[in-house]
Amino acid sequence: MFTPLKRIISYGFKNFRRQPTLHIATVFILVISLSLFSSLLLFRSGIKYIVAEIQKKIDVSVYLKKEAPQELVEEIKKGLVGLEEVEEVEYISEDEALKEFKERHKDDPLILESLEVIGENPFYPSFNIKARSAGQYAAILTFLERDKFKDAVLKVDYTKKQPLIEKIFKITSSLNLGGLLLTIFLGLIAVLVTFNTVRIAIKDASEEIAIMKLVGASNWYVRGPFIVQGVICGVLASIITFLLFFLLSYFSAPKIVALTGGFNIFAWFGAHAFSLFLFQLGLGIGLSVLSGLIAIRKYLNV
Amino acid sequence: MISFENITKIYPPNIVALEDVSFEIKKGEFVLIVGRSGAGKTTLIKLLLREEEPTRGKIFFEGEDVFSIPRKKLPFYRQKIGVIFQDYKLLPTKNVYENVAYAMEVMGAGESEIKRDVPKVLELVGLEDKAYNFPAELSGGEKQRAAIARALIVRPEVLVADEPTGNLDPYHTKDIIDLLQKINNFGTTIILATHDRDIVNSLEKRVITLEKGRIIRDEEKGELLF
Repeated sequence: MFTPLKRIISYGFKNFRRQPTLHIATVFILVISLSLFSSLLLFRSGIKYIVAEIQKKIDVSVYLKKEAPQELVEEIKKGLVGLEEVEEVEYISEDEALKEFKERHKDDPLILESLEVIGENPFYPSFNIKARSAGQYAAILTFLERDKFKDAVLKVDYTKKQPLIEKIFKITSSLNLGGLLLTIFLGLIAVLVTFNTVRIAIKDASEEIAIMKLVGASNWYVRGPFIVQGVICGVLASIITFLLFFLLSYFSAPKIVALTGGFNIFAWFGAHAFSLFLFQLGLGIGLSVLSGLIAIRKYLNV
Repeated sequence: MISFENITKIYPPNIVALEDVSFEIKKGEFVLIVGRSGAGKTTLIKLLLREEEPTRGKIFFEGEDVFSIPRKKLPFYRQKIGVIFQDYKLLPTKNVYENVAYAMEVMGAGESEIKRDVPKVLELVGLEDKAYNFPAELSGGEKQRAAIARALIVRPEVLVADEPTGNLDPYHTKDIIDLLQKINNFGTTIILATHDRDIVNSLEKRVITLEKGRIIRDEEKGELLF
């Protein structure tokens, strides 16, 4: 049982050694495909990070009247927490607002002095609201504009942020869609190029396949060494791609941090190294073996 | 051992390759099938190997109807018939030793069996010094001897040779024919398809002459007349 398997594996390695140019060419095509897929993965992670960062910075502030009845304030808070669009609600009392303001400007005696001059606390209590996504602020706004809250709500600080929020929302959703389309399109090209390379390599061996069948080899005995060769190519290609990305992310990390406002590609690489390598290994072996199996089918039906 | 019964093969639409061909070959015989290109020699061999199905008629091998052998058992049937071709059909990426061993491997032979038999058969065909050369490094005659070694390694009952000397010079041709005779002397039935007048006339064996798909002569110690 094990003898045929041993022979198949040994022939796979022998064939690989005996036709170095053909196999090196296949490995490099695979490296290109894998690099493409890996960069798309990285690109999408980068975009996700940027979008998340921007969304974190968006919030809506609702300033409450100082004389607002306590029950009404409680009702607003309860209502906000109950909204499914709302991720987080934070109540900031007028004292807290003052304290925070003083803290922020503690090195600026002029501002602190002018506060003294006013004499009373010029701040209003407020709600700081974060939505789950950039597109959901409209719903929150509708909630706050209800008539019964008129006695409590002084001002909703959203309108001035609205164009910015909508713009970001538009950009992020089109970036996501664009990234997806790009992934599909480039992925298709990578698969086709790989398939074609492997197909040419196997066409080169078509006469050999016919002879093997003629001598009496079973289909699996013919296929076996090609599968082994495919696995070798896939493994080599994924190792090369992994090292390539290791170096690339190491050297480009500082520039990309500056460009994206904090996305550390090397840290990302470090955190995902294992799964990235598995992804590349699986894709590399899968692509080359599957292409080989499809291409060889034509020549096996003797 | 082998009998063709009223075999007719028509390739669509209406090319008649063989028409009503009947003959019998006994165990241990050396039979020449002669005729011009297109006379039907190769079709006859393809039918014997069941690479093609006849339009009409039957072929029996040791009493068994060749065309009713189940597909799964076909490899076992084909193992009984060794074949060599004009273009040798050696595996280009394998050396002589591996080419011969490959035929044993696909039959599921063990490593020790292969190590024992392959050198013997290479010695028989005179290629023991070229065991680790690749086909591209061999002369035509050596390639054909390697192919014969591969055909013999599985101990076939019949060795079919389809124009084995078609690409060889007279010196190597004689070499190969002598080898085939040697193999025949060991008891293997030989079917040799050729249109080489010198071979036919010097061998003095049974000759079946085909013309336009029909047997026009079948005689012991025959000659090629045209």
